[in-house]
This record gives sequence, C-alpha cells and structure tokens, in this order.
Amino acid sequence: MAISKEYRKELKDAAANERIRLALARAIKSYRENTNNALKKYPHTVKMAEDVLKIKEHAIQHMHDLAQEASANIESNHGKAYIAKTAKEALEIIDGLVGKGKLIVKGKSMTAEEIGLREHLEEEGNEVYETDLGEFIIQKLNSRPMHILSPAIHVPREDVAKLFSKITGESLEPDIPKLVATARKLLREKYFKADIGMSGANVVAADTGTIFLIENEGNIRLATGAPPVHIALIGMEKLVPTLEDAFKVSEVTWRYANYGVPSYVSLISGPSKTGDIEKVTTYGAHGPKEFHVIFMDAGRTHLAKDPVLRQALYCLRCGGCLYECPVFSLTAGYFGDKYFTGIGAVWAKEVSKNIEKASSLAYTCLTCGRCKVRCPMKIDVPEMILKLRKSLAEPE
Amino acid sequence: MSKSGRGLIPPGLAFIADKINSKNNILGIPGEDKAKWAAGLEFSKDNSTIFFAGCGYQFSAMLEPLVKLVKQADKMSLNHEMAVGMAGMTGKLGIDAAGIFTKVASREKDSDAPVLRDAVKVLQALGVDIGYLGKDEPCCGAPLYHMGLHKEFHANAEKAHKKLKSHGVKRIIGVVPSCTYALRDIFSRFVPDHNIEVRHFIDVVAENIGHHKFKYPHKVKVVYHDPCQLGRYMGHFDQPRKVINAIEHVELVETQWTSGQWSTCCGGGGGFEVVFPDMSHILAEARVKELLATEPDIIATHCPGCLMQLRSGLKQLKNDSVQVVDLATLLAASLPKANTK
Repeated sequence: MAISKEYRKELKDAAANERIRLALARAIKSYRENTNNALKKYPHTVKMAEDVLKIKEHAIQHMHDLAQEASANIESNHGKAYIAKTAKEALEIIDGLVGKGKLIVKGKSMTAEEIGLREHLEEEGNEVYETDLGEFIIQKLNSRPMHILSPAIHVPREDVAKLFSKITGESLEPDIPKLVATARKLLREKYFKADIGMSGANVVAADTGTIFLIENEGNIRLATGAPPVHIALIGMEKLVPTLEDAFKVSEVTWRYANYGVPSYVSLISGPSKTGDIEKVTTYGAHGPKEFHVIFMDAGRTHLAKDPVLRQALYCLRCGGCLYECPVFSLTAGYFGDKYFTGIGAVWAKEVSKNIEKASSLAYTCLTCGRCKVRCPMKIDVPEMILKLRKSLAEPE
Repeated sequence: MSKSGRGLIPPGLAFIADKINSKNNILGIPGEDKAKWAAGLEFSKDNSTIFFAGCGYQFSAMLEPLVKLVKQADKMSLNHEMAVGMAGMTGKLGIDAAGIFTKVASREKDSDAPVLRDAVKVLQALGVDIGYLGKDEPCCGAPLYHMGLHKEFHANAEKAHKKLKSHGVKRIIGVVPSCTYALRDIFSRFVPDHNIEVRHFIDVVAENIGHHKFKYPHKVKVVYHDPCQLGRYMGHFDQPRKVINAIEHVELVETQWTSGQWSTCCGGGGGFEVVFPDMSHILAEARVKELLATEPDIIATHCPGCLMQLRSGLKQLKNDSVQVVDLATLLAASLPKANTK
C-alpha cells in the first residue's frame, strides 16, 4: 500500500506536464500580487481573521446546536431545513426533493463535489448544468476540479476553445472574452428553463438562518434566483452563531481568496415572498417558491473531536494555501482527493475514510509549513500531517 | 519494536527508520566513523555545553544511493511490495545496499562534514567553550517522528536523553536544523524530565558576533535561503541575516515574495527526496531559479538537506558560476587568519 501506484503515476505525469507548471506559475504570481494589494487596501482584514478564528473555534465545538438553531430559523422563514448525518442521507433527501427527469442549474460547491452530487443526479436521470465557468469546463471535459476556487486552473485557453468549438459546432478562437461570451450564451436559457437551482454556501448565520454565497460571475445569483426551487447543500462546519460573525467570515474569505471585493454576495434566508397586495404574505414571488437547506455532518462531528485534526474544519476554503504549496505548483489538484494538499489528506482519512489515499497524500506533503503562513486561520498543516502519519504508521 | 502500520510508510523512509534503530544514525554508518569529521579538532573536556554534530552534514551525500534505489524501484513498479520494505527490495534488485553506503562513506570529498569543522572553528573563535561526545553522541531520531513512528521516536529519545545526562550535558548547541528542533522542541513532549537547554548554532553566533570582526576575502553578493525547520519551525529568521550582515565584504540580497517566512522549500522537506526523487529534483531546480533571480555570487543556506538539494538544482541548470555555501563555511572563511587552523 503506502503510496499507491496509480497516485504515484498521476503525480509524476502531472509534475512532468509543463503546461500545468506554467498555468500555476502565472496564477501564483497574480494571487500574491492581488492578495498583497487587497490586504494593503483593507489592512483591518488581518485582525479580523484573528476574530474569525475565535468564531470558528467556538462554532466547530457547537456544530449540532448551531445546525438546530439555523434549521429552526430557516423553517420560521418558511424554508425547509434538514440535517443529514451521512453523505448517503444527504443524497436521499435531495433525491426526495428532486425526483427524476429534472433540469438543474448548479453553482460550484466543494461539498457537492465531496459527495459526488452531480454524478449522482445524472445517474438518477436528471440533466445537470454546472454554471461556474471553470466547473462548466471541467464538466464538459469530463475531468475533475484542480483547485477549490479555480477548478480549471490547469486548462489553457487553447483547450477551452477546442472544447467550446466541439459543443457549439462553430470554430472558436482561443480568445478569452469570446470564450466567456460563448459560455454565457450556452447557459443563459438554462437558468430560466431549470426546475431546480442548487448551491452550497460560504458561511451560514444560525441566528437568522441566512446563507452567504460569495461569487464574481453572477451565475449563483441566477441559479439560486431564477428557478422555482433552490436547494442548498452545506457542510456543517460552515455554521457560525450570528449574522455579524458571518459577515466577518465572508470578508476574510474573499480577501484571502485574492478578491479585494467580490462582485456579488448573496444573502438568502428563505423563499421569495410579497405582501404587496393587501399585505397578505404570499410565498413565491419573482424568486424561488421553495428554499431547502441540508446541513451535512458526514464525518465532521467525528473530526471535530480530534484536538489537532479539527483545524481542518476551520478552513474557509479561500484557497490561499494552494498557491503557497510547492508540490501543488507542480501537480495542481493531483496532490489531493476531494480536497487538496495537506488538508486533503485529513479529509481523506477522517471524512472519506480512504486510508490508502490519505497515506499517499500524507507522505507527499513536504511539511514545509508555508501554507500556514498564508492561512488566515493559521491552520497548522505540518502538525496535522505529522499526527496523521502517526495514526497511519501506528494505528491504535 | 512495533512493526504495525509500517506498511503504510514509504520504503525509503522505512529504511532510514530501521537504520536509526539499529545503528543510531540515519544511514547505518558504523559508530566509529561517526566522529571522523572531528579528527584533529580540540574540544573542552567539560561536557556541560556540547556541540551536537548530528547526521545530516556528515551523511547527506550518502542519501544519493538510497534515492537511486527508490528511483529504480519506481521504474520497476515495485510499489506493490511496500510491505517488503527497502531491505527486501534491495535484495530483489540484487543490490548490496550496505556495500554502496560503505563505498560512499569513503568518498569524503562529497561529504559536507567540513561544515561541522567550520562551525566548531567559528564557535571557538567567538570564545564559546564546547565539548563533543564523539562516537557517544546519540541520534536525535527526528526522522522517526516525522514519518509517524512516535513510539520508536519515544524509545530513542529516552535512550538519547540518558546518554546525554550520563555525560553531564546541560546545554546543547546544535547545527543541523532538524536535530536541533527535535532536541529543543519535540524531546520535552516525550521525555518529561528533559531539561537540557538547546540552542541552534546561528542563534549563539548572532548573540556573540557583535564583538568580533568577520571579513570575507573579497566582495560577494549573497542570497540567503531559509531552511524550513530553521526558519518556520524554530523562528530563526533574523539571526542568519544579522550574521550575514555582520560580515564585511558581503552584500545580502533577498528574493521577491519568497524569503524569510515565505521561503520556498528546497524540495527535501520531510524526507521527500527519498519518497518522490523526481519531483524533489524539479522542486530543487525551481527554488534555485528563484534564488538566481537575485543574481548572487553565492547561495548561502544553513541545513545539510538544503545544501544537497540546492546544489543538485544548480547542477541541473548547468550553472557553475554560483556556489552553494553553508553559513558556517561563509563565517569560517571570514575569520581573521590567526583564528583558523
């Protein structure tokens, strides 16, 4: 076992691929510049990140209570809330809501990726469109995401042009604005024809039952606003006590994700409603009539019990660490499982229970610790990796 | 010795673990060879403060055959035989591992042992009184901890602690970052009565250098590469810079984005070179490119693993105009002639 042959080969091939290296080198340079500028312009972010760490430390210890509180508030906002203990339970709840033969537009979500939601829905006979441009490319390439925020980080424009030419039957040039316009054209009508829109969430305020969605493309606004039903699948680690906490988490997340200010932040607390005729509240106005939120545990409570490994749950998914990982700069997401790099090893072992993958990833980590310097939550990846190696080498 | 779970450890690392347990050093070098580097040096008879030489500088050149074995195993797709371990694998490949190591051990020119002599000369020139335990110096066992074998690390740490105590050691000045970090920060988690004060060479030098004159023979531009364990683990970012800046004729330059706490790993981190030798080489080359962008005459660093990696990176880039030099060597070369032997 130890490091599986397939993984070793994948990693080696990726490292030998000059295109991945080139794409990453450019991305790393611009990430560092953008983040530096964003932190210079908004210097309070560093102190705010310290507050957020305290918020997360507390919230992770109270995930279940927060899920209950958020659920009660979502229900009182006329939404529906569910708590799924396992990935299987989450999929069953979603199946019950979706049924078969539906058209679904979806925002990018790592939690959905974690449980293979798109593939599952397609197997159930639904037509699913990823609407995030990067994720759309990945879906059409039949590939898998290589970065949590930029899933197609390893695909150069020439390959995108080839792909879109195939889809449209036209001959498209590798011109980025034209390619973006093509994606817009391809997806536009789907939002309005779709039966269901799906999303994850960046953070959830338990006291109001509000989910926060940070984005730039505007696809999440459309996917969660146009169809008659909105379903959000959310990992329980995203819950924080108050709306004020959630704003802090959001701002720190987007700043370290190298967006000084994102174009859109959607706050959703319930289905659309109006009282404009005789003050009679009617649900289902211009936005969705139904709002369903599923809080998923799937190993998170178990992970929260470990004093070292629970740090993985503090992760805001800003993706900053990935730009600082020397191995990632060669291999992109091939150094990963559902989640990437060192933290990915923790998820593989504790959440996915994939021991072989976990050990492969744990012994790929350099334990150099630069990710920790970047991380707004100061997650000590080397410490987690050393603990993980111990649990692999000396099982109890 | 517990063998459970050993199958999950990459064979290159497991090999090192076995050698620490059986031979008290990372590559299984016979005990009497361990103190060879110090021949002719004079140490204090008082061992209350000792110089801790460690394995890295002496033996890192000998990691090469191990890396070759891993590469060969990789090519022959022997990965499914992980449980067999390196010993079994070398047997299958028809390679006499012990023989290779002995042969390399005699190739002293490839060894970085002179760095240790330089470090001792510098400390003595600064008036720091040090003893040395010679072949009695215990192995810190750090690689055991890093590969996840905490029980074996614990057993070794107890043994090492007793040995140090039996020689009356009160203070240690370490020079290999990983040994020094293990002795300073990890030992006390496993050995509760570990009350030996541990400091790194560069910390001691930085404290004492103010009163002394160091002058490099000619003007040079030096870029400094922070080793992960010396910098991010031990927090020694300012000390190396203070020391370099104290040497006359030396101009210190820094890389953009990647110096100090942002330093890029050389690709040797955590024994990576014996697990993924190919990627380790690519990382070494990438780091050297970052350093060369400052157009230095010398790349200075302060870790045996980094020295080896950065040299191999330079070699791959076919650059022979820039030198990779350890800080101890840079300092020793800057001592007034009277102080050097």
